[in-house]
Amino acid sequence: MRRYLFPVLVATVVALSTSASASAHKKSSGKSKKAAPVSATVPAAPVDPGLAESRLIDVYRMVARADTRQALEQAQDLVRDYPNFQLAQLVYGDLLSARIRGVQVVGDVPEPVAKSAATALGDLRDESQLRLRALRERPPAGALPSQFLALSTRNRHAIAVDASRSRLYLFENKASGLTLIADYYISIGKSGYEKKTEGDSRTPLGVYFITGSLDPRSLKDYYGSGALPINYPNELDNRRGKTGSGIWLHGTPSNQFSRPPQATDGCVVLANPDLAYIIRTVQIRTTPVVIAPALQWVKPTVARQESKPFEAALAAWQSARSRGNMDQVLSFYSADFHSNGKTLSEWVPGLRNQLDKTRGRAIEFKDLSLLRWTDSADTMVVTFGEVADGSRSGPTRRQYWERQGSQWKIFYEGVIG
Amino acid sequence: MGYNCAQYIALATALSQRVTTLQEPLDSMKLDHAAILTSIRLLTLVTACALVPVHADESADVSQLLRAGKLVEAMSKADAYLASKPGDPQMRFLKGVIQRSSGKLPEAIATFTKLTEDYPELPEPYNNLAVLYAGQGQFDKARAALEMAIRTNPSYSTAHENLGDVYARLASQAYNKALQLDGANAAVPPKLALIRELFSPTNKGQRPSVTVAAAASAAAAAAPKPAASAPAVAPAVATASSAPAAKPAAAGADSAAEQAAQDAVLAWAKAWSAKDMTSYLAAYSKEFTPPGKQSRAAWEEDRRKRIVGKASISVKIDNLDVTISGNKAVARYRQQYRAGALSVSSRKTLHLLKTGDRWLITKESSGG
Repeated sequence: MRRYLFPVLVATVVALSTSASASAHKKSSGKSKKAAPVSATVPAAPVDPGLAESRLIDVYRMVARADTRQALEQAQDLVRDYPNFQLAQLVYGDLLSARIRGVQVVGDVPEPVAKSAATALGDLRDESQLRLRALRERPPAGALPSQFLALSTRNRHAIAVDASRSRLYLFENKASGLTLIADYYISIGKSGYEKKTEGDSRTPLGVYFITGSLDPRSLKDYYGSGALPINYPNELDNRRGKTGSGIWLHGTPSNQFSRPPQATDGCVVLANPDLAYIIRTVQIRTTPVVIAPALQWVKPTVARQESKPFEAALAAWQSARSRGNMDQVLSFYSADFHSNGKTLSEWVPGLRNQLDKTRGRAIEFKDLSLLRWTDSADTMVVTFGEVADGSRSGPTRRQYWERQGSQWKIFYEGVIG
Repeated sequence: MGYNCAQYIALATALSQRVTTLQEPLDSMKLDHAAILTSIRLLTLVTACALVPVHADESADVSQLLRAGKLVEAMSKADAYLASKPGDPQMRFLKGVIQRSSGKLPEAIATFTKLTEDYPELPEPYNNLAVLYAGQGQFDKARAALEMAIRTNPSYSTAHENLGDVYARLASQAYNKALQLDGANAAVPPKLALIRELFSPTNKGQRPSVTVAAAASAAAAAAPKPAASAPAVAPAVATASSAPAAKPAAAGADSAAEQAAQDAVLAWAKAWSAKDMTSYLAAYSKEFTPPGKQSRAAWEEDRRKRIVGKASISVKIDNLDVTISGNKAVARYRQQYRAGALSVSSRKTLHLLKTGDRWLITKESSGG
């Protein structure tokens, strides 16, 4: 009787196969295709996002049902198509070893190798677990990361990163609401998350926006298929004195399909096909990127209910602005308010000018988006187009509000376009 | 009819016998088709054999030159022979071995590849192709060739052992890529066994020499028939499959001898499983001829490497049937060989000779 045991793998994959929703969203992208079960597989174009992982998971499933011969064939095809996918090579090595000896764990390499490459082996085992976990523990149906309170039609996509799960979730803002369309394995900072200072090799936590897209031809091979910088440090980070810069979502060097879970200097790194798909899909400036230590998935209606007090405060600010009452308007601003280097008192003359211009005309919000960030403080990142009655358009304004006791106060306001 | 012809016929019989046994548990449509195809090829071989007697002398001479290291002479003799009989598989096979020994690897690969195309039912060319690929570090190709060798002849133990080595090497390569090691240990190529001669009667684990005598006459009768029709093969099948059934009634003296011979076979299998090389090698008679015309010392060394190198081995003997005749015994059984995850079940035959009070192995073969 032949038995090849990968106990950890089998346990996790068996659970995986019972999860009906597992990777179902992948099909909706229309890009990734499942590898055909036996032979005659057309070599997959390695540009398909998420495909390498779904093929690896297929191999795990075959191992779980003791179909090691087919698993070996599929693993061989996988490493042929993705020779630099180290985890796939490891599993392929295990399946080959299983032909001649027992295999007990993922990466059951000979003892001397295990010793000399202990770190690399540990990294690959972590990567394996994290990839499996992300597919086993799917986001609950109809739930969204708690940060996404409201997104306007201008926010056509949104990204949420779960740092502890090494996973990036990509959403499309459809007519029916925000919808998860893909999720990918990612690597974060060598020293983990919660960046504070320059050079601490941590990935920042917070609500960010994609600020640009860098042409891969202008980048070193190290960054892979491109780079999407985000606006770290944001206004909350600045207020907290956080330092550092150049936090990007970027790809992997040509000799590495994916990197260990904790490997970067603070950037979020994706496999090149996955990043390329994101670059093709998302919009610059209007795509929020939430990076959380662990995403909380909640029903949008519940989240909106919880933000009622804030929305009441925002509506009160809006009506004070419309009336043009300076004292009333100023009551919404925090004492440590700042706007692009100006303190509150330096900023007041400008505010007075604005009020004078629009006095008595109702202010309408166009394309309102609300993103909530809760850590030791409770912060709301608000973006809207401000259109005075009688005007066709107006500036796009971004405000950071903070809850102080039961009151919401603005600590940053600026025009972003 | 030359000596090699008898070997072809034995091969034809062995293969058609195997196809027949395979047919039972599996999808009959598919295998019928396969069986017919195989039969056609076998008949082609047998017919060719009948019409164009192979000169055993030539191939024996070439073999001799090859073993003596006279590669240039061996090659020119092989070429001269092939000029008149370009299709002869035996000589083409030898030519491939000469090419490899002369370091003409691409030519050797071409020769064996062509042989696998012309005689896909022969495992030996696949095996040697695998050895050449493995020597170049092309382990994926080596693996594919060995798997073909095993597919054509599931009890082909050389290919099984070689395949185990190739799996180990491929695993090591994959691990090195996974862990981004430079793979310094990959510098040592695996030691795979090259089959030096096709249809050699002493090649262990390939030909059921036991059935040669009985099968040859039946198959020879079928051979002259020009048409490749299924019934033509039938007599050979019938003869071969009925052979093991006959069992003489055991007299009292014989049953004691039978018991002793059975015990010897079981002890041999136990020593093999236990990797007890002293007992294992002691089970073989001085008369034992090592396969592939190796010296006894080289064979022992090879067995030692093959056996001691395995993490675990299990050899199980089922349906053991011993026939005694004087001081000789023939033991037929089903052997379940397992090494690690490799598992091979095959029919085996051991010939034993009573030496003093012990039964020692003089010959080992597959099938029977």
